[in-house]
Amino acid sequence: MDFTFTPDQELLRETARAMFAKECPTTLLREHMTDRSAIVPLRKHVREFAGLGTGAASDLCVFLEEMGYVAAPGPFFASAVLAGPLLEAIRHPQLEPVISGEAVATVAIAGNSGEWIPNAETVKYFVLDADLADWIVILESGPSVRVVPRDRVDPVPIRTVDSTRPVFRIDVGDVESESFELSADAWEAWRDRAHTVIAAEMVGTARRLFDMALEYAKERKQFDVPIGSFQAIQHKLADLALALERATAAVQYASMTVDAADADRTRAAHVAKAAAGDAARRCSKDGIQIHGGIGYTWEHDLHLFIRRATASEYLLGPTSWHHDRLADLLFS
Amino acid sequence: MQLAWSAQDEAFRAELATFLDTEAPPEAHGYDFGESRPDEASIIPDWLRAWQAKLFDNGWMIPAYPPELGGRNSTPIQTLIYLEELSKRRIPRATHFPGYAIVAPSLLEFGNDEQKKLVPAAIRGDTIWCIGMSEPNAGSDLAGLQTRAQLFDDHFVVNGQKVWTSYAMIASKCFCYVRTDPSAPKHRGISLLIIDMDTPGIDVRPLRHINGKADFAEVFFTDVEVPRENLVGELNGGWMITQGSLAHERAGLWVDSVSRLEQTVFALVDLAKRTGHDLDPVARRRIAEKYELAASLRALGYKGFASFAQGSSAPEHSYMKMATSEAGKAVFELGMELCGPFAAVTDPELGDENGRWVNMFFMSFANTIAGGSSEIQRNIIAQRILGLPRK
Ligand SMILES: Cc1cc2nc3c(=O)[nH]c(=O)nc-3n(C[C@H](O)[C@H](O)[C@H](O)COP(=O)(O)OP(=O)(O)OC[C@H]3O[C@@H](n4cnc5c(N)ncnc54)[C@H](O)[C@@H]3O)c2cc1C
Repeated sequence: MDFTFTPDQELLRETARAMFAKECPTTLLREHMTDRSAIVPLRKHVREFAGLGTGAASDLCVFLEEMGYVAAPGPFFASAVLAGPLLEAIRHPQLEPVISGEAVATVAIAGNSGEWIPNAETVKYFVLDADLADWIVILESGPSVRVVPRDRVDPVPIRTVDSTRPVFRIDVGDVESESFELSADAWEAWRDRAHTVIAAEMVGTARRLFDMALEYAKERKQFDVPIGSFQAIQHKLADLALALERATAAVQYASMTVDAADADRTRAAHVAKAAAGDAARRCSKDGIQIHGGIGYTWEHDLHLFIRRATASEYLLGPTSWHHDRLADLLFS
Repeated sequence: MQLAWSAQDEAFRAELATFLDTEAPPEAHGYDFGESRPDEASIIPDWLRAWQAKLFDNGWMIPAYPPELGGRNSTPIQTLIYLEELSKRRIPRATHFPGYAIVAPSLLEFGNDEQKKLVPAAIRGDTIWCIGMSEPNAGSDLAGLQTRAQLFDDHFVVNGQKVWTSYAMIASKCFCYVRTDPSAPKHRGISLLIIDMDTPGIDVRPLRHINGKADFAEVFFTDVEVPRENLVGELNGGWMITQGSLAHERAGLWVDSVSRLEQTVFALVDLAKRTGHDLDPVARRRIAEKYELAASLRALGYKGFASFAQGSSAPEHSYMKMATSEAGKAVFELGMELCGPFAAVTDPELGDENGRWVNMFFMSFANTIAGGSSEIQRNIIAQRILGLPRK
């Protein structure tokens, strides 16, 4: 067992960090709220990493943590991370264009209940970045997979708290297309991987919120001293740091179990998503508390990350849903 | 990053497993520190003394140490494996940790050649040690200690009082922090002395724990003469050693705490099944939350060990004591809730579950106080790891 990053992973992390710092400032996130085309230059840079989508989960998580840190908008997560492995599992001809970044795909899974599990419903919710997709990968009961061109469906935007990741509703009922069978193992592997990687991204966003709060605590003065010298603030930050470190380690462990197809994989993935949800929530709530009034303003950047953290916490199953799945495993 | 252990590490695990499975006495397997700790008279049962000596003689007491100190020069990762295998089987190394966990590493680092000779017996358990840090008015603020030691040519004369001194009633030596320069700033006037507990003028009065058993004590010193050569390290240089010896106490403790946490979560699952809570969605979810906590803390502990093994300082360890001790209280509390109205009943007539959870809950209070309280841990995290300003 080794939790340390390989030199390649260190390099990936540094490259991604530098690229996002330069290409994805918060001004871009704000511009993107009203103008979707604002992300065109960023997408060019991110596209080069699309191959990570079907590579080792531990590498992919390194990249996604950096992506979450800047709340990067764009279809990388939907396309390379979620759709890529499904296309790979059914050996679909669109795999190559998707993981080379030439084509964009997204997945349609959740039905009316919002749960990301195969089902027979024809109206799908939470279809990420469908407006930018060339292909919609539909996961249905069986489990089975269909891949349809986006122009055969009509994505309807759903209003959401997080503008960095637009979601859509689509009706796939009338679309004729070939259906590929997916083994139960392949579905479970996809699901555990998806839970793990979104958790990695959430850890990145939570870390951003934490860093902002820590920095602010060191510079903001009240009663002539930095607020970070008050024990109430120190203890809050210590608790946030623990939640964040716990989630970070849980994600790393889960990514290793995914790569090793280990027996502990499903539990580890639920733990990672739940721990990341807990960290993201705490860093949002206490992060804004530490900022005081300034944090509550639209002008301050904090809410951009609180929005991403909150939306991600509910994406692919809220924290409580993951706890319930863990309970099912513990009681089975 | 990778999940698998190396072939050498797996071989180490296998060798240890065989030793534990064939050599550990029956009483050692599944030992429960909480429940089976014996009464006043025998804080360390005979079989456990013999087992500690056997671990030492076979190089399995502190694997990272050389053979003459009860080890086999193993790597940090192997130490982790070692601690895991013990806690998986709930096999204790000793009930009494000050000797091998605090005194030995401190003497190896700060002691002179003569004092280092005390180390093997401390690790083997042949000498029982107690740690005299806390005083009635110096707990978290350890540097506020007042026990005086005046130096006369070749000896010190000690006067004062220690409290909550674990094992003082059975210890033959005390690792005792004393004030040797009352005029210096409080951190600079402290020294560390080795005090023989049978020296005239020492009065040990056992104090009972919240669980009714006595394994700590008040210790009174009245004109106790201690030879000058029993000074460890520099005169007035004791503060540096306190910092080191608390770190020694903490290093591997989390492995056992986390294993215990996990085992308690599985016990909660069984309890829920027996009490009909297995279909209760609230109970199920709350148990799962505890599982998440235990599993993520284990990962955090591993991560810390990995960076420690590579020579970094591993801040993860600072999180582990606070997190595992707080989580400990929470799991036993949940167990009590699942027991329902009989949770606080300790009458064995009313079922064997009664009293178990409440006892464990009470016992778990100690961990967020002793060895640096949770509040002190948060201060350390905030100031030393996060770099927040001191007031
Ligand atoms: C089971 C057990 C075994 C022990 N064994 C030993 C032993 O062998 N040798 C030994 O020397 N001692 C031993 N102790 C004593 C232990 O080290 C002290 O109890 C501990 O350091 C706390 O000190 P205190 O009890 O004086 O509490 P106090 O320091 O008075 O603390 C009371 C409360 O105030 C809080 N507090 C104190 N300072 C701060 C601060 N700066 N910021 C925020 N909150 C603060 C504490 O967290 C706590 O909640 C043992 C204690 C227990 C419970």
